[in-house]
Amino acid sequence: MVPVAAVFLPLVGVVAGLVLGRISGRARAWGLGAICAATAALTIALIPGVLDGSVYEIYLLRLTPVIWIHLRVDAMGALFAATAALLWLLALVYSVGYMANEHRLGRYYAFFMLCLSWTLGVAYAGNLLTFLIFYELFSILTYPLVVHEETPEAMAAGTKYIIYILMGGSLVLLGVVFTFFLAGEQTLAAGGILNATMDRTSLLVIFWCFIVGFGVKAALVPMHGWVPDAHPAAPAPFSAVLSGVMVAAGSFGIMRVAFQVFGVELLAELGVMPVLAGIAAFTVVFAAILAVGQDNIKRRLAYSTISQMGYVALGVGLLGAEATIGALVHVTNHAFMKGTLFLCAGLLIKRAGIHNVSEIAGAAKRMPVTMAAFALATLGMIGTPPLSGFISKWYLGLGILDVDQPLYLAVLLGGALLAAIYLLPIVYAAYFKTPPTIAAEDTGEGAEAPASMLVPTVIASTLTLVLGLAATVPGFPYSLARMATEAFFR
Amino acid sequence: MHEAADIAYHPLPALLVLWPLLCALAVRPLGRWREDVRNGFVLFATGVTLLGAAALIPVLSAEHKITSDIPVLVSTLHFVVDPFGMLFALFTTFVWFAATLHALDYMQHEKNRDRFHTTSLVVLGAMLGVVLAGDLITLYLFFEVLGLVAFLFVIHTETEEAKCASVKYLWMTVLGGLALVGGIFLTYALGHTGAIGPIPLEGGTETLRWVTFGLLVLGFGVKAGMLPVHVWLPDAHPVAPSPASALLSGVMIKAGAYGIFRTVTALFRPEVVEEVSEELWHMTSDFGLVVLWIGIATMSIGVVLALGQHNAKRMLAYHSVSQMGFILAGIGAAGYLGSHGAMGVAGGLLHVVNHALFKGALFLGIGAVAFRTGELNMYKLGGLWRKMPWTFVFMLIAAAGITGVPLFNGFVSKCLIHHALVEAYEVRHLMSLDIAEKIYVVTCGGTACSFIKLIGLVFLGTPKTEYGPEVREAPPRMLAALGLLSVAMLVIGIRPHIVLRGVFAPGLHEWALHSDLLEYYLEHYFLSPADLMSVVVAFAIGATIFVVGMKFGLFHLHAPRWFGVDYWYGTFARGFIRVSEWVGGWYERYLRFASRSLRSIRLGYRSTYARVERGWRRTVVTITTGAPGPRNQHFIQNAYIALERERQATVRYAVTRAHEWLRATPDADPARSTAAVDAVRDIASYMATRQMNQRMNVLTDMVRTGEIEAARHSFDDVLAEVRLFRDGVAHTAIELAQRRMTGEDVIRKISAEVNRISSEERFDRRLRVAAAAVHPAIPRVHSIGASARDAMPTPALVTEWRVRGLGRFERASRWVVEIVRLVVETTTQERSSWVLSDRLDPDSIIETRQNIQRYARDMSFNMAMILVVLLVFVLSIAVGVRQ
Repeated sequence: MVPVAAVFLPLVGVVAGLVLGRISGRARAWGLGAICAATAALTIALIPGVLDGSVYEIYLLRLTPVIWIHLRVDAMGALFAATAALLWLLALVYSVGYMANEHRLGRYYAFFMLCLSWTLGVAYAGNLLTFLIFYELFSILTYPLVVHEETPEAMAAGTKYIIYILMGGSLVLLGVVFTFFLAGEQTLAAGGILNATMDRTSLLVIFWCFIVGFGVKAALVPMHGWVPDAHPAAPAPFSAVLSGVMVAAGSFGIMRVAFQVFGVELLAELGVMPVLAGIAAFTVVFAAILAVGQDNIKRRLAYSTISQMGYVALGVGLLGAEATIGALVHVTNHAFMKGTLFLCAGLLIKRAGIHNVSEIAGAAKRMPVTMAAFALATLGMIGTPPLSGFISKWYLGLGILDVDQPLYLAVLLGGALLAAIYLLPIVYAAYFKTPPTIAAEDTGEGAEAPASMLVPTVIASTLTLVLGLAATVPGFPYSLARMATEAFFR
Repeated sequence: MHEAADIAYHPLPALLVLWPLLCALAVRPLGRWREDVRNGFVLFATGVTLLGAAALIPVLSAEHKITSDIPVLVSTLHFVVDPFGMLFALFTTFVWFAATLHALDYMQHEKNRDRFHTTSLVVLGAMLGVVLAGDLITLYLFFEVLGLVAFLFVIHTETEEAKCASVKYLWMTVLGGLALVGGIFLTYALGHTGAIGPIPLEGGTETLRWVTFGLLVLGFGVKAGMLPVHVWLPDAHPVAPSPASALLSGVMIKAGAYGIFRTVTALFRPEVVEEVSEELWHMTSDFGLVVLWIGIATMSIGVVLALGQHNAKRMLAYHSVSQMGFILAGIGAAGYLGSHGAMGVAGGLLHVVNHALFKGALFLGIGAVAFRTGELNMYKLGGLWRKMPWTFVFMLIAAAGITGVPLFNGFVSKCLIHHALVEAYEVRHLMSLDIAEKIYVVTCGGTACSFIKLIGLVFLGTPKTEYGPEVREAPPRMLAALGLLSVAMLVIGIRPHIVLRGVFAPGLHEWALHSDLLEYYLEHYFLSPADLMSVVVAFAIGATIFVVGMKFGLFHLHAPRWFGVDYWYGTFARGFIRVSEWVGGWYERYLRFASRSLRSIRLGYRSTYARVERGWRRTVVTITTGAPGPRNQHFIQNAYIALERERQATVRYAVTRAHEWLRATPDADPARSTAAVDAVRDIASYMATRQMNQRMNVLTDMVRTGEIEAARHSFDDVLAEVRLFRDGVAHTAIELAQRRMTGEDVIRKISAEVNRISSEERFDRRLRVAAAAVHPAIPRVHSIGASARDAMPTPALVTEWRVRGLGRFERASRWVVEIVRLVVETTTQERSSWVLSDRLDPDSIIETRQNIQRYARDMSFNMAMILVVLLVFVLSIAVGVRQ
C-alpha cells in the first residue's frame, strides 16, 4: 500500500493546503511541509525493499476487463519517485519564503501538491495506460503554475507550453493506442511488450510517436521550444522542479518505452537508437551553444537543462548497460544540481533584484551562502570530481566506450566544456568582479536570504556533493540504476 | 602489473592525503579567533604531513609498494605508493613546509590570510592525492581539485592583473581537465582497467593509441607548463603571493610532470616483467621521442622568453617553463630508451626534485626582497647584498643549483639528462637527437645567463634607488625557510648517491628497468672532467650572452603580439564566444521568422475565408434580389448608418457636456438639473436630426448628379472632419436650453443656429473638395499601404485577432440576445418605449437590424437552394420512373 499512499498523500495535501490556507499561511506551510516530508519518506522507504528485489504491485481500478489502473514499483520508478519527492520537498520549503508576498497562494500550493502526486504516479505507473493518465494529468495541470505570475510574458509562455505539451501528449496517446492495438494491455516490465514478429512499419511508427511525444517534454532539440520561455516565467521554486523533475519525466518516459515497451533486443533489431543518439548529441551541443549567448540567468539555466537532458537521451540512445546507468543516475544528479541553480537564481531575483548575468558582479559579497551553493552546483554541472555531475558523466563516458563509439566522447566533453563556458563566468563575476555601484551595500538591501529559503538551497547543493562522494553506497542512485539496468540488459 | 601479493596494505597514504584536507576545515575558525594560533596550526599541519611523508621511507623500504583505499566516489579512492610516488610526496611536503614557514611573515602584507592558508592545505592534500594515486580516477579527481583550488592562489591579490591571469589560468585548467578525462576514458577503450600500470598492447588501433596519448599529455601538459599550452604560467605565477608562487612553480606544476612521467613510463609500456623483447618497446619509443622534442622546444623557447623579462618573478616563471622542458626531455629520453631509460628517468625525476627546491627557494628569496623593498623590477634594484646578506647567500645557492654548478643539485640532474640525450643519440644515431643535444647545451647557457643577470642586477652592482630603513635583512622565519631548502640542495648536490641509490634503484627495479646504469654513472661520470667541462661551456655561453645582451639592449626586445600562441588562443576563445552568440542570434531570428510565417498563414486563411464568405453573400444577394445592387446604393445605405451614428454621437456628446457644465455650476438643484439635461437632449436631438437630414440630402443630390463616385472614397475622412461640429451643436444646445429654462421661446433660434452651423460646415463642398483632391489611384495606393501596415503584426493587432477569433460564439450569442431584445422591444414599445430605448445600445440595434437582414437573406437563399435541390431530386426521380 506504500506506493498508493505516496501517490495519494499529496492529494490530501491539496485539500489540507486549501483548508489550512484559510487559517493562516503558517499553518499551511507546516501542514504541507509535513505532508510533503511524509511523501518523501514513503518514497525513500520503498528503496530498501526494491533493492532486495521485491516488486510492489497494486491494482487500483479495473475499468474494463482489459484496461486497468495499476501501480508497480521497480528500481527505475523508485529512483525517479524519490528524486521527485525530495526535490519537491526542498522546493516547497523554499516556496514558503519565496512566495510569501505573492498572489493566489491557494491555487499555487494546490497545484504544486497536485503535480507531485501525478509525478509520483508517473514514476510508479505499472502499465502504459496508467502512465499515460498520470503523465497527461501532470503535464496539463502544470499550466497554472507556469502562468502563476500572470504577466503577459507568463501568459505567452503558458500558451506556448500548453500547445507544445498537448501536441506531445497526443503523440504519446497515439503511441499508446497503437501499442494496445498490436499487443494488448500488458504490464511494463523489462523485456518489452512488443516483439519482432510484429509489423516493422507499425513498430517504427509507434517508436517515433513515443520519442517525439516524450521528446517534447524531455526537450530534445527540435521540440524544446517551450523550455526557455516557461522557466524564466515561472516562480523560481517551480522552475527548479520543472527543470529538475518535469523535464526529466519526458526522459523517464523515453526510458520506459525504450526498455519496457520495446526492449533492448527489439530496439537493436529496429536500428533506430543511433538516430536518437544523434538527436541527443545535437541537443547537447546546440542547446549549450545557445545558452552561451543568454543574458537572463534563468533562461541560460533553461538552455542548460535542455543540454543536460540531451545527455540522458544520449545515454538511452547508445543502448548500452553502462550508458543507461549513466543516464538514470544523471536524472537524479541533474535534478539536484539544476534545482540548486534555480533556487539560487530565485534568491538573486528576490533578494538582490538580479535577473541577468550582466548584473551579477559582486553578488557573492552580498550573498555569500547563495553564491557558494551556486558555485558548487556549477562545478557539478561541469563534471568536476568528486561532485555528482562527474559520476553521471563518468558512467556515460564508460558507456560510450562500452558500445565502441568514442566520437560521442567529444560530445560528452564538449558539453562539459560549454557548461563551463556558460556557467563559470557567472560564478567568476559574482565573486571577483567589482560591482559598478556600491549603493546596494549601504542600504542593506540584497543581503543574504532568510534561513527558510537558504536551507533548502544549501541542502540541494550539499546533495550534489553527497551524491558524488557516496555514489556507490547501496540505496544511492547508482545501486538502483544498476539494478534497473541489469534487468533491461539481461 | 605486479601481482597483488606484492602490494601490502598500509593506511599511511590515505591518511597523508586526508590529513591536510581535514586541517583545512579548521583554518577559518582558528583564524577568526586568533591569527597566531592559526599560524601555528598551519605550520603544525604541514609539519605533520612532512613527517608522515618521511615515515613512508621505512615503510617502503620494507614493502616496496603499499596501497590504501578510501571508500568514496565511483568505487573507492585507491592509493598505491612506489618509490617514485614517495619521492614526489617527500619533496612536496618539504617545499610546502618551507613555503608555509615563509608565508607566515610574508602574508602580513596581504589580505584574506585565512583563505590563503585554507587553499594551501587543500592544495597540499590534492597534490599528495595526485602523486600517491593508485588508479587514474583517483589521480584525475585530485588533479582537478588541485587545478581548481589553486585558482584561489592565482587570484589571491584580486588586482586587475591577477584577475586577468586567473581567468586565463581557469580556462586552461578546465580545458586541460577535459583533455585529461578524455584521455582517461580512452585508456578504457584500449582495454585498460584504470590502474597506473601498462595498458594492454593489443587493445585498440594505432590511431586510438596516439589520440589517447595526445590527450593525456595535453591534459597533464597544461599543468606542467608544456609548450604550447604554457601561456597561463608566466601570467599566473608572478601575480600570486610569493609563497604561493613558490608552491605553484616549485610543486604544483610537478603534478603535470608526474602525470606525463606515468603516461610514458607506466601506461604506454609493455608488461612489467624482467625479460621483455625490445620490439615491444617500439610504441613507448615513439611516444618518448615526441615528449623529448616537446621538452627540447619548451626548454629553449622558455629560456629565450625568460631573457626578455624585467619583472623578476615573471622571469622565474618563464624559467619554470624552461626547466619543465628539461624534465620533459629527461622523461622523453627515458621513454625513447625503453628498458634502458634509467638515466632519463633518474635525470628527469631528480630534476623535478631539484627544480622544486631551487625554484621554491628563488621565489621565496625574491619574495623576501619584494617584502622588504616592494619592488620586483630587476632593473630598479641592485646592491642588495649589503642589506640582505643571508638572503643573498641563499639566492646564490639556488642560482648555482639552477644553473648546474658542480656540487650543487642541478648539476647532477642536468648531467643525467645530458647523458640520457647522448645515449638516445647513440642508440639509433638519429641526426635530430644530436641537434637536440646541442640545443640542450645552449639552453643551459641561456639559463646561466639569466641567473647571472638576476643575481647581478638585484644583489650586486650599485643601488638604482635610495633604500629606506625598512630595507633590511628578511625576517628569521623567511630565512629559516630559505635555509632549509638550501641545505637540501647542498645535500643532493654533494651526495646524490643517497637519492639515486635509495629511491631510484628500487623504483626502477619495481618497474623492471635496468638500474645498473645509475651505479655506472655514480662511479664513472659523477664530477668527471667531461661533465665539468660541459658546465664551463654552458657558463661561457651564458656570460657571452649576458655581456652582449646588456651592451646592445637585446633583453629589451619584444616580439609582436601575434607572434605568441597566447594571442591566438585569446583570438580563438573570443571568436568561439562570438560564434556562439551568432548561432544564438540566428536561432532567434529563425524563431521569429517561424512565428511570423505561422501568423501570416493564419492571417491568410482568415482573409481567404472572409473573401469567400463575402463572395458567397454577394452571390446570395444577387440571386435573391435580382440584379446586383448598384454600388452607390450600397454606399448610401452605409452612409446612412454612419450618419445616424454620428447623429447619436452628437446628442450623447451634448448631454455629456451638459453634465459637465452642471457639475461646474455651484448651485445644483437636482430637479433643475434633470430638467436642464432633458432640455439639452431635446434641443441637441432636434439639431442633430436636422443636420443629419441635410447631410443625407447632400449625398442623395450627389448621387443624382453622379458626383458620388468620386466622393465615395473621401466620405470617411469628411465624416471625421465634421465631427468637430459636435462641439458647436453641444454649445448651442446648452445655451439655448438655459434660455428655454427661463421660459423664452427658442424654436426659431434653434432653426437659425442649425442653419448657421450647416453653412459653416458646408458638407457638400467638403465632399467635393475632398473628391477633387483624391486622385482615383491614391485610395488604392492608400489601401495597399494600409493593408501592408496591417500585415505588420503589432501586439495590439494580435490581441484583436485573438478577440475576433474567440468572438464567434460571442457574436452569435450577442446576436441571439439582440434578437430577443428587439422582439421584446417591438412588443412592448407602445406602452413603455422609454425604458428599453434608453437601455438598448443604439449601435447594436443598427447592427442587429443589418444582421437580421443579412441572415434573412441567407436563410431565404438557403431555402431556395433546398427547393432547387428538391426539385432536381423530384425531377430526376420522375425521369427515372418514366424510364
